[in-house]
Amino acid sequence: MPHATPAVSTRGLSKSHGDTVVLHPLSLDVPQGEVFGFLGHNGAGKTTTIRLLTTLLAPTSGSACVAGHDVTAEPLKLRAAIGYLPENVRLYDRFTARENLLFFARLSGVADPADAVRETLEFLDIAALADRRVGTFSKGMRQRVGLAQAILHDPEVLFLDEPTSGLDPMGVRQLRGMIEKLHGRGMTIFMNTHLLSEVARSCTSIGVLAHGRLVFNDSMQAVADRYDEAGLEELYAGVAAAEVAA
Amino acid sequence: MSPARILSRQALAGLTRDRSVLIRVAFFAAMVLITAWLGWSATATVNAIYADAAAYLAASGQPVPPNPVSVSAPLAVLRNLGVYISLIGAFGAIVIGQHLVEADRRAGTLPLIGARPFARRDIALGKMRALVTATAAMMAVAGVIALGTLLTLPSLVVTGPDLGRLALFLLAGWAYVTTFGFLALGAAARLPATAAGLIAATVVWLIITFVLPELTANLHPTAAINPVTTLAATPDAGVFHLFSALLGPVSLAEGFAWLSGDLLGFLPEGLAPRGPVPPALALAVALVLSGLFAAQAATRLDLNAGGPDA
Repeated sequence: MPHATPAVSTRGLSKSHGDTVVLHPLSLDVPQGEVFGFLGHNGAGKTTTIRLLTTLLAPTSGSACVAGHDVTAEPLKLRAAIGYLPENVRLYDRFTARENLLFFARLSGVADPADAVRETLEFLDIAALADRRVGTFSKGMRQRVGLAQAILHDPEVLFLDEPTSGLDPMGVRQLRGMIEKLHGRGMTIFMNTHLLSEVARSCTSIGVLAHGRLVFNDSMQAVADRYDEAGLEELYAGVAAAEVAA
Repeated sequence: MSPARILSRQALAGLTRDRSVLIRVAFFAAMVLITAWLGWSATATVNAIYADAAAYLAASGQPVPPNPVSVSAPLAVLRNLGVYISLIGAFGAIVIGQHLVEADRRAGTLPLIGARPFARRDIALGKMRALVTATAAMMAVAGVIALGTLLTLPSLVVTGPDLGRLALFLLAGWAYVTTFGFLALGAAARLPATAAGLIAATVVWLIITFVLPELTANLHPTAAINPVTTLAATPDAGVFHLFSALLGPVSLAEGFAWLSGDLLGFLPEGLAPRGPVPPALALAVALVLSGLFAAQAATRLDLNAGGPDA
């Protein structure tokens, strides 16, 4: 079976800072090739989850595998298989987009960094930005170059943390188009967001996190079947109501 | 190319594009040039006076004493260089050490670096390598200017051993400034608040440069930055002898001043270093310990920190 191993798999994955539980034990499977939308309000634990899955944070308990590699036992192999775009990436202002990307391509161990940068810039239709200093870029331009650094090495799984945060409608549209192109290449995309419209347009499955607990996890088709037209908004409102009750 | 080397090259390239760092390095080079000019000017003046005096003495049939320039150590004309290294050079290294961490934090690139397939220790190695290279470049600039001064001064006979001592002096200067650079790098890695690492390392530098000499030798700040007065004997009082014995090994500014005097040939006759540890050994130990601190702190650097608001 070609898609037998999930791209992302967690079992009881949790994170605490002292007595504060940021992420309650999380068990989740994201099949390969999905665009998974991880929904939740600010502070729900979405970013912590991505940091655990990208090995930037060590879990307090539980386990997680990304692209078949354990986060604690095989961090180097795992990092070789992922791309990551954090929220509010700035990059090096005094360097051009190409210089920034060459640096990250070399760090990723890409065989021909110059070629990889050129191909990625062309794939994302941002070759015109290549030789401009990043310090002169708008938020949207930075975000597109940020996405480029995340896919230079053709990762199996791409983690995006609030990729459309702070973008104007045109920037959101352009970034969405890029995500769709990457999905078309078969890349698994794990995307944190609290924008329901983004999830509705881009994602094939979703999970909803509330106060560090996974309260919903299913395909977008199932959401559509269960919640009629109002769909996602009704689902999210239900989750919010449950939070208030809790 | 190893990840440490890639990180080091990127950090050095970033340094060369940062105006605040470039201004400090240019200031250091300018002060070294002024040092060289002061040494050149003083020596040229003595030579001119000696030539007139020698001509007069010869004309009046009196014996002509040797030129004082030719009997003093030729490297002594560089005595101010030690002061500029311990003041501007060390502070420049602190700025560079802090910048090496802060630049990534401000650019929000730490998570991007941390999500790449290499060990965390490579981040520390890359930063330390960049610092060591930058401080070596600073000392190379000082060396070229010093050498140019020595070679252009008339009446100065610079021998092979003199050049060897100059090289050792520059090596000691490099170890001295790099120690503070490592402290700043480690402090910046440990303290995520903007400029906290810079402030912490600067406080240590101020204590070593100005406070410890007061305790060990009753040297006031103005005396501590004078290459001659800083080489004072321990005052004849029990408290200063006690502080000298206890604090001498960590009073690096005094140790470096003593080494400078010894290597450049202007150390007062019979002046012993502070404390029981030879200054060269104390400096080497300080370099190693500060390097270990920087390595440990940079290996444990919080890669989630940073971004536009950092």
